[in-house]
Amino acid sequence: MTDTKITSKEAIMLIVTIFVSHTIVTLSKNLLSNTKSATLINLIYVGIIALLFAYIIFRLLRNFASLDIIDISQYLGGPIFKNIVGGIFIAYFIGTSSNLLREFCEGLRVAFFPMTNILFILIPFILVLFLTNSLSFSSNIKTVSLVFPFVLISIVFLFFGNFQNFSFERMFPLLGKGFSDTFITGIGNIFAFSGISCLYFIPPYLKEPQQMKKICLTSVIIGLFYFLFCTATVLLLFSFFVDVDEVLPLYSAASYIEFGVFFQRLEPLFMLIWILEIGCYMIIINRFSIHIFQKMTNLKSQKPLAMIFPLFVLGIALLPQNYSIIRFLETNIYSYFIIAVVFVLGITILFLANLKKRKERKNSL
Amino acid sequence: MDFKKIITDIFTYTPKQEYDFTLLRGTTGNESAETTELVKQNETKTIYPSLNVNLEYVKSKYNSMINSDIVIREFTLNARGKQYSAFLLYIDGMIDTDIMNKFILEPLMLRNKSNLYDSDQNRVISEAVTNNITVRKVKKFNLADYIMTCLMPQNTVKQISEFSTIFNDVNSGNCALFIDTLNIGFDIEVKGFEKRSIDKPENEIVIKGAHEAFVENIRTNTSMLRRSVHNENLIIESIQIGNITKTSCALCYIKTLANSDLVGELRYRLNNLEIDSMLSSGQLEQMIVDNNLMSVPQTLSTERPDKATSYLLDGRIVLLVNGAPYALVVPAVYTDFLSTPDDKNMRTSFSNFIKWIRILATFLSLLLPGLYVAIASFHQELLPTDLLYSILASRATVPFPVIFEILILEISFELIREAGIRVPSPIGPTIGIVGALIIGQSAVSAGIVSPILIIIVAMTGIASFAVPDYAFSFHLRIYRFLFIFLGYCCGFLGIGLGLLAYLAVLCDTKSFGVSYTSGISPLQKTVGHTYFLQPVWLREFRASYLDAKKDKKQEKISMKWKYPFLKEDDLP
Repeated sequence: MTDTKITSKEAIMLIVTIFVSHTIVTLSKNLLSNTKSATLINLIYVGIIALLFAYIIFRLLRNFASLDIIDISQYLGGPIFKNIVGGIFIAYFIGTSSNLLREFCEGLRVAFFPMTNILFILIPFILVLFLTNSLSFSSNIKTVSLVFPFVLISIVFLFFGNFQNFSFERMFPLLGKGFSDTFITGIGNIFAFSGISCLYFIPPYLKEPQQMKKICLTSVIIGLFYFLFCTATVLLLFSFFVDVDEVLPLYSAASYIEFGVFFQRLEPLFMLIWILEIGCYMIIINRFSIHIFQKMTNLKSQKPLAMIFPLFVLGIALLPQNYSIIRFLETNIYSYFIIAVVFVLGITILFLANLKKRKERKNSL
Repeated sequence: MDFKKIITDIFTYTPKQEYDFTLLRGTTGNESAETTELVKQNETKTIYPSLNVNLEYVKSKYNSMINSDIVIREFTLNARGKQYSAFLLYIDGMIDTDIMNKFILEPLMLRNKSNLYDSDQNRVISEAVTNNITVRKVKKFNLADYIMTCLMPQNTVKQISEFSTIFNDVNSGNCALFIDTLNIGFDIEVKGFEKRSIDKPENEIVIKGAHEAFVENIRTNTSMLRRSVHNENLIIESIQIGNITKTSCALCYIKTLANSDLVGELRYRLNNLEIDSMLSSGQLEQMIVDNNLMSVPQTLSTERPDKATSYLLDGRIVLLVNGAPYALVVPAVYTDFLSTPDDKNMRTSFSNFIKWIRILATFLSLLLPGLYVAIASFHQELLPTDLLYSILASRATVPFPVIFEILILEISFELIREAGIRVPSPIGPTIGIVGALIIGQSAVSAGIVSPILIIIVAMTGIASFAVPDYAFSFHLRIYRFLFIFLGYCCGFLGIGLGLLAYLAVLCDTKSFGVSYTSGISPLQKTVGHTYFLQPVWLREFRASYLDAKKDKKQEKISMKWKYPFLKEDDLP
């Protein structure tokens, strides 16, 4: 007997973990680059749109009980289509996670290990993935739910710890570069909610599938608050018009926190928590990738993949030659890839599958 | 090295070989769960009617020529005026000689009035005369029944026909009576060996709880549980483990509370142990738990009957082993190892404060030296400037790198601790004083270690003593070294990822089908059991992960004296 199902709270934490990990690295910097001082308003705006997307996904998934998007793809277009969709999602997961890991490790190198080769900073993460991939999925989720509260506290603490250093005038002009950049082209900032992609894969794991609506909406709302806290911290602390030139802006923000004479440099402690968070993110993404691959190939066990996928992540993370290539990939490729896969491809598949189901139902009547 | 084989081993699918048991919720009440009975196909020899043959067999089995404590007492038995050859088999030192003399040998050997008449005389039960024909209903004389009912004034006597059963009981302190012409033996209970009386607990001291501890004798231990639970639903199943020692073990649970699947699973594991000997509860623990990567304790060991009773009343199972003054409680989760019996005896606020301290102690015990090494090697900015200067000044004369320095001290500390336990008790404190004060002071003066490190190691040591469970504390001691190494290699990166791996494995661990991190994570509705205690009137439910047959352990209004006019229905 094995207990692989997860509760709705754990599912929410899982999704929010994906949101948060991007925030810790450079997401807030990317958002600020796009919409400048209007980022907070823009975030609320795209948050509402993301909420709408999450609701649509819930509505579309409702007709397929506990099937995930891979099963739905098979239903829609047969095994070949399933494999194509699976391949795209694996590419999405591995690509974004490798880039994020590399970016975070570059940040670690700048902060702690300036003389160390990036490979040696990446390898500990890969070793942890070897181990966690060989454990059960439910244990991975339990680990995430143990780490998650500390990450939440760290972000809130970061915000309030820096409160005295905030310059609230940096919020102005409220509409940043203008109405059009905030509300029309600014809609592109929805890539921040890439964690929504997990919604496509969690239905088979849910203990209470009827809680799906709660999971969809709550995770997006919590994620939105996270984004607001993080972005507000960076926005109100740094002068964004000269661009936030930090590798890890939140890490830099942490160095401003002071409590008396004794606690003057707390950023390594934050980094400790964020290392855990990035580890959790990598665990989840790896498990989903392996899960998709297993479905595509009908493998009996995930064991043979437990080592292959982390090695795959390591290989892709090592591909970019320097930090500017990583930044280029993130801002010019992955952000659009996220929108295309999560918000276009996923919803289109679900929509078409629903149409097919409705047609079948009509024919059977 | 065969690389091909290594690669094949890594990537080839091998079906799971290990047995995996998970306690799923909602299975209570499934009384049809099958109990697996393992029938041992031992060689069974029946008792012969000839006394000489029996005597030879017994002598050869027990090696009576060289075994000094095996006593075979031959005598002549008087029954209804007739004499039979007989012998008694027992082990010297395990029986009560008074009982043996007064209630076995005396009635069997000495003549008495009622035992004098003719043995062949049948007993007339009824007599009727019809047409001058007398019809008598007689009961034929049966020697075995006669001895059992008339000659043996002893409370527990059994007629046994197999040698193996008789030998088993003789080994436990009974005596066996063999009589010529009878192909059965009498198994008579005359146990009377010396045993330790109930004493104060030595390793689990409490302020407000009971002051009695388990002893080595299993019957004394079961009686202590029986007295505390005071309910007929307490089941104490006896299971013998060990092909040679046949150690008595007791599986104790409350029938109306414990999950049937859990009881069945434990019974199954106990009945499927093919070992020669079982001498302690520690051995038994290792034989019945699932494998885990980190050797975290998966059963709770206690010497306190009140603690064991408390767990029984929660719906858990207690295991007792004859000869071991410790009970094993299963299943046990992470938070159980940070709890003491005093927690429930004290006011909630006091208990919770102490529980916070224990969490801190666990954290310090596991991570403090590792964090120190990481900070000293990679993250000096975390320290305030003054403190950093003071540490640097104290380390100025130390010729070793920080990792070497801390390993010297940690290993010395472990040596002192081990020596303190192993030496005779009068010298124990001396070892501590010599080790801690003299060696520590001298090491600092000699410039081998820095004073700040002495503080770190001492704090870690004290923190590990504050962890209530010895096995769990030991586990933390071992993993502390891993975190020291990680901290030295990669600083907070190593500590963070090590911690993540540690948590992941911990979350994957199960204790008899129950997730080890129940109560902390998963964030399921773990009603009735969280690490921090609620006020006593709010402790309505048993831990949900145990899936006990009865969820509630007290009413919503437990203190009825406080709300005499309020009914359950009136509550929100």
